[in-house]
Amino acid sequence: MKKNFGKAGDLVSVSTKDRTYFGTLIPSVDDDVITLKLDSGYNLGMRKDKIKSVKILKQISGKDSKKQLIVYNKNLPTISILHTGGTIASKVDYKTGGVVSAFTPEDLIEMFPELRDIANFKTRLIREMWSDDLRFKHFSILAREIEKEIKNNISGIIIGMGTDNLAVAAAGLSFALESCPVPVILVGAQRSSDRGSSDAFLNLASAALLITKTDFSGVAICMHENLNDKTCVIMPACKTRKFHTSRRDAFKIVNDSIIARVHYNESKVDFFKNNYIKKGEKLVIKDKFEEKVGLIRITVNMNAKQFLAYKGYKGLVIEGTGLGHTPLDVVDNETKEHANIKKALQELAKDTVLVMTSQCLFGRVNLNVYSKGRELQKIGVISGEDMLPETAFVKLSWLLGNHNKNDVKELIGKNLRGEINPTIKANEFLD
Amino acid sequence: MFDYKDLNLKIGLEIHQQLSTKKLFCQCSSNFKEEKLETEFSRRLRAVAGEQGYVDIASQFEEAKHREFIYHGYDDEYCLVDCDESPPYEINRDALITALSVAKLFNLNIPDKIIVMRKNITDGSTCSSFQRTMLIGYESGNSFIETSLGKVRITSLCLEEDACKIEKVEENKVYYSLSRQGIPLLEIRTEPDIKTPEHAKETAEKLGLILRSFPNIKRGIGTIRQDVNLSIKNGARVEIKGFQELRVMPKIIDYEISRQVSLIKKKKKVEKEVRKANENGTTSFLRPLPGSARMYPDTDLKQIIVTEELLSKIKIPELITDKIHDLQKKYKLSEELATELVKEKINFEDYTKRFKKISKGLLATILLTYIKEKKEHLEFVLDALNLEKITKDVVQDMLNELKQGKKINLAKYKSISNTEIEKEIKKIVKGKKNLTVNAIMGILMAKYRGKVDGKELIELINKYKK
Repeated sequence: MKKNFGKAGDLVSVSTKDRTYFGTLIPSVDDDVITLKLDSGYNLGMRKDKIKSVKILKQISGKDSKKQLIVYNKNLPTISILHTGGTIASKVDYKTGGVVSAFTPEDLIEMFPELRDIANFKTRLIREMWSDDLRFKHFSILAREIEKEIKNNISGIIIGMGTDNLAVAAAGLSFALESCPVPVILVGAQRSSDRGSSDAFLNLASAALLITKTDFSGVAICMHENLNDKTCVIMPACKTRKFHTSRRDAFKIVNDSIIARVHYNESKVDFFKNNYIKKGEKLVIKDKFEEKVGLIRITVNMNAKQFLAYKGYKGLVIEGTGLGHTPLDVVDNETKEHANIKKALQELAKDTVLVMTSQCLFGRVNLNVYSKGRELQKIGVISGEDMLPETAFVKLSWLLGNHNKNDVKELIGKNLRGEINPTIKANEFLD
Repeated sequence: MFDYKDLNLKIGLEIHQQLSTKKLFCQCSSNFKEEKLETEFSRRLRAVAGEQGYVDIASQFEEAKHREFIYHGYDDEYCLVDCDESPPYEINRDALITALSVAKLFNLNIPDKIIVMRKNITDGSTCSSFQRTMLIGYESGNSFIETSLGKVRITSLCLEEDACKIEKVEENKVYYSLSRQGIPLLEIRTEPDIKTPEHAKETAEKLGLILRSFPNIKRGIGTIRQDVNLSIKNGARVEIKGFQELRVMPKIIDYEISRQVSLIKKKKKVEKEVRKANENGTTSFLRPLPGSARMYPDTDLKQIIVTEELLSKIKIPELITDKIHDLQKKYKLSEELATELVKEKINFEDYTKRFKKISKGLLATILLTYIKEKKEHLEFVLDALNLEKITKDVVQDMLNELKQGKKINLAKYKSISNTEIEKEIKKIVKGKKNLTVNAIMGILMAKYRGKVDGKELIELINKYKK
């Protein structure tokens, strides 16, 4: 006999051979288990085959929790939030037990009512995706969505995104937007918004303050400065990297320094640079990215095949060791393969733009110091200066999409969007 | 004081017992000293909606205070998990098995799947703004303990994370230590079957003793905490937290009853709320009583499937309560003495075999009174007592001398025979006929201090004063 186990939200009594339990049905992850929310608040997983009967005491009314209506405040500027997914706008999904997205302005204001005092918010869901699933094409899509928003006379744009590739996307957008009249701030969260300790609110509110209180324009990242829920930092789009799997201050700047610090509680923004792009520029979008671009990391024990996998690519960024090195030398029987690696690089160099960066991340590539570097230059490898490998990768793709090959080789080492810092200061390193 | 039955007094208990395993969801030790401060950071917490879309009123109340929470991390006693800067690791298996064993002992039903829940608390006592907790056992219809006033049913057993310890409170700031955060806690709830304030104390004591029979139970100050839920006719359910000592529990419960009674008399509404047990025996308002909307599943953890393999790890130890009962019966000891012997883990049976001539009650009393003395000193004295070379009155003096490293002259402590004493009494009575019993006692005690038993001496004097 098929039992009726009721549906999620129903108030039920469940009888087993021992006794009867009362509670509300919660959607269960498994088909063979029902989940009952007891009066105590605990969820109880009960195997269906052990249940004798389920009595539905009260069916779900279908009434949702009340959502606050949003009132437009004509005295406040308007910010447009483009959601792409990620932890920043997520709630618990009781069906899967995982975290799902909440994107409407109502969702946002319900979660963070204080935002109403900073600006009016328009929100649009562009994609619901992990940032891990980003492709170059999404940088173009985002650039075109930004274009649409700018036509609506907004003060700035916040892009909510998963943190894993947020910094790479920031670099991608800063290339795609050659110039932009309003700020575009990428914001993520390391703790989902459904928990009281989420970092999402401070990150969002700080980005909103930057947009409404200052003349800053350009693409930047806004995230927690440290473990305190006090300040967020505005970080350069092309010089920032996620350095921690889980901390709220996971994002750190490499070979550069912070643009500004936002003190949310004091409603204050302190700038540390004055050469930033100001509001009011013309919008120029160049959103083509070359698909056939790769990034290879140098390790010990490599073989030539790993390099030759990029045969036919238009560009390849090498994440070399130290000042920018690869295995090349045959010093004994064990290193014979290195001759093949050298040949593979020479072969690749015929059609592929090769750019050297360093897995040290901090400091500049220099291909003149050691003979190995000079050898690589002879092969045709170009220095990526102090660019982050991921930034160089995105830049190379963008250059190849919008410029001819000779210009690409010329421009890769030139600073276009703050991706190259000509003067790295002593304090621009780990503490 | 009150007719509790007439008041329709209902009391339920919540016992929180810390475990001594590593922390529940990380590899930090559960021992802490809070000596070397390493990290300080500040957080603000927000109320969030629970699973069914409601924001819990208790959470809202706390948020309204707009407080800043400052957390202190002490060297070696916290990690990123406690800071809410890393997802939790897998559940500590030893803690889980201990919890399952306790659930089994109380005949509680163990769920087929254990779902780790987040219980929202925004008073800052957890960095994450929630406490992880899971239902390990729920009432089966046959889960109860026996007490002097009948059965007290056990509602549930939960395994949860302990929260941070509060260090200080400033105007808009609360300081917490992260060291206690994440220590596994067993939470046992009873049905409101407790009938009187004394009964509450008895039940709490008994539950505490049962828990102490299990391995991985943490000992010491603050490792077990009791909350009392009570209601009376026309009153409201109130939860009292933070009893410093079990001894004061009945007094505080009585205070709360009289508080509610006087409110009812004045026709005022008794609010459902959480109140604090104060050291002066009163209770004071802490916060509104939280509702059930404060829990939702932890999305960072998989559900725990209770497999046969896991259940096979369950071990039920011999219960302390049973051990006490056995000692009482076998040696005709008082419950108090038997309880203390078991609590202090004294092998009483072994002592009774070695010191057969000492009465069981006296032996138990000496063992417990002088528990901190060196074993060799104590055994030297017990040996003398067993051979009737001394009386019990000199035990303390002898131990003192032993402690000072003096050589013991047993002759000095040698007990005097009754005939010798009687001879002396006769001599005194003959000399001064008007002396009172007390006066004779005084003279004799000065002479024989430690060598005679005071009670016996009075009996002997009385023989000659009649």
